[in-house]
Amino acid sequence: MQAFLAILRYDLMQLTQSWVSRIWVPLLIAPAFFLVIVASTEDELASETLAAYLVAVLMPLSALAVAVLTAGAIAGEAQIIADGILSRSVTRTEFVSAKIVARLGFTMAIYFLVMVPFSYLIVRYSEADISYTGLLVALFTGALLLTFLGALGLTLSTVMTNVMVSVLVLLFVVLISGLLLQFLGLSWMSTTAVLTRLAPTIRGETAGWDTFRVVFVFSGLTAVSVLTTYSVFRQRDL
Amino acid sequence: MHVVNTTDLTKIYDNRYIALNALNLRVEKGQVFGLVGPNGAGKSTTFRLLLGLQKATAGQLQVFGEQMSADRADLRRRIGYLPTNPTFPKHMTPIAFLQFVGSVLGMPKDRTKIQLTRLLQAVDLAAAASQPVRGFSTGMLTRLGIAAALMNDPELLILDEPTSGLDPAGRKQTIELIRELSGRDRTIIIATHILTDVERVCTDVGIISAGRLIYSGPMADMRRLARQGTIAVEIEGNTTAFEQELHTLDDFGSVRYERIGSEFRITFLGTQGLNEYLHRVLQLIDRTGVELLHVDTGSDEIEEAFLRRLEDDRTRGFLRAAAWAAALEGAGSERKEEADAGIPGHPSV
Repeated sequence: MQAFLAILRYDLMQLTQSWVSRIWVPLLIAPAFFLVIVASTEDELASETLAAYLVAVLMPLSALAVAVLTAGAIAGEAQIIADGILSRSVTRTEFVSAKIVARLGFTMAIYFLVMVPFSYLIVRYSEADISYTGLLVALFTGALLLTFLGALGLTLSTVMTNVMVSVLVLLFVVLISGLLLQFLGLSWMSTTAVLTRLAPTIRGETAGWDTFRVVFVFSGLTAVSVLTTYSVFRQRDL
Repeated sequence: MHVVNTTDLTKIYDNRYIALNALNLRVEKGQVFGLVGPNGAGKSTTFRLLLGLQKATAGQLQVFGEQMSADRADLRRRIGYLPTNPTFPKHMTPIAFLQFVGSVLGMPKDRTKIQLTRLLQAVDLAAAASQPVRGFSTGMLTRLGIAAALMNDPELLILDEPTSGLDPAGRKQTIELIRELSGRDRTIIIATHILTDVERVCTDVGIISAGRLIYSGPMADMRRLARQGTIAVEIEGNTTAFEQELHTLDDFGSVRYERIGSEFRITFLGTQGLNEYLHRVLQLIDRTGVELLHVDTGSDEIEEAFLRRLEDDRTRGFLRAAAWAAALEGAGSERKEEADAGIPGHPSV
């Protein structure tokens, strides 16, 4: 447990000091401010503004940031991990757990730190057409998509040794999965489809079953990714 | 008690590259064991297996009498490890890094601070303790690596090329530090290809070549192996007179010499009479009035003994392969056993 906490602290410190975080957070905040000002002066619909921000700003930027932060989590530090950390009294389970909690926790912290005040300001200053349950579901769905992406990134970082390749593969998988799922008649499972339904979800117009199956599928995929990360890393030669 | 005990330890990467080939390594408590071998011989792979960082393809591996694996954090708690060219998070200072190591090891904060202060002074990094690691020289990184390896006051210290990339002063300092660390029930394993380092600090030595341990024994035996053969005498003055009389000293009929400038390199084909002959050479120096600059009975020849071992092993390897091929061609099983037992004068290790 002590090793887990030590690695968690170390990794969180690294994340807060990383150049990705320093670019990512201001890039999320600046458009959010702009949208709040526009919403307050132009009588925009809250649901449309929130959905537009999520789809056009937060998700693409965060996907890129999360891809870099997670796909390089293990591959990018292989030497330091093996020599400096895992050669000491640390189990691989402790190490991977600390990495997962740090990387996914950090992503969620940034997401909610931006989205909660932004949602409050938009609801307050624009035309409130939202359902609070719908807003919570939409925020949770966005968080779930980023968690899934982060979990997949961590899996790739244990499988691959090159960070750049891991990042590219991760982004490619996400992009290509939409086409593949459409071809298979499962387009509702694609991240693009989930994002385009966010505005109706915020207004509370999405059926419970639709929400449930999205949550079920992406939670399941996240769990599979996390378990694969543990399994692959335990077997891997360092 | 064996601190490290491997039996037929084998590591094959991706079914392509044999890094370790049935390695049988035994290191006893309190030994300072030098693992010597050329680059790519399997020294670092051996260490990574000992630490549970990699999984053996076949064979047994015990550390402190217990099976080592990736999950044996309890065994690793008793080991300190210095990798070759250690890498550290570049933004961290030595103090921050050692504090991190202490917290990973589960050490209480007070003890961590006392230990890191003591170690930073011991490795001469106290002045640079608050500087980020990114500006450190190779020597400073190695010294920080040694400090990190010693944080838990380990029973087994594994040092992979501890003097690699160091200048002569840094090398000397590191060797002195290792000397200080030896004893006190601590076992040290040092991998290197710098034989003089091994000679200075190790009590025992193992030679590894192509993933196999081809020699293992006390350092004194290795020195004896090195000594058989050659003494070098460097003189100044009337060297012609010395050379003329040198012929008359060979009662044993087994001495050859070679002159290289002012140095006479005298080679014995056997070990009999070496001391007696050396005595006569010194008397001759006195008699001819030449000035003795340097005499060497072969302790510097440890490198040659090492190379001889490698060469012997390669020769045996070819013979073994040839015998194996012959056996396949239908030779009797008796003949195959004979060939497998090795060639006379080259005991199987």
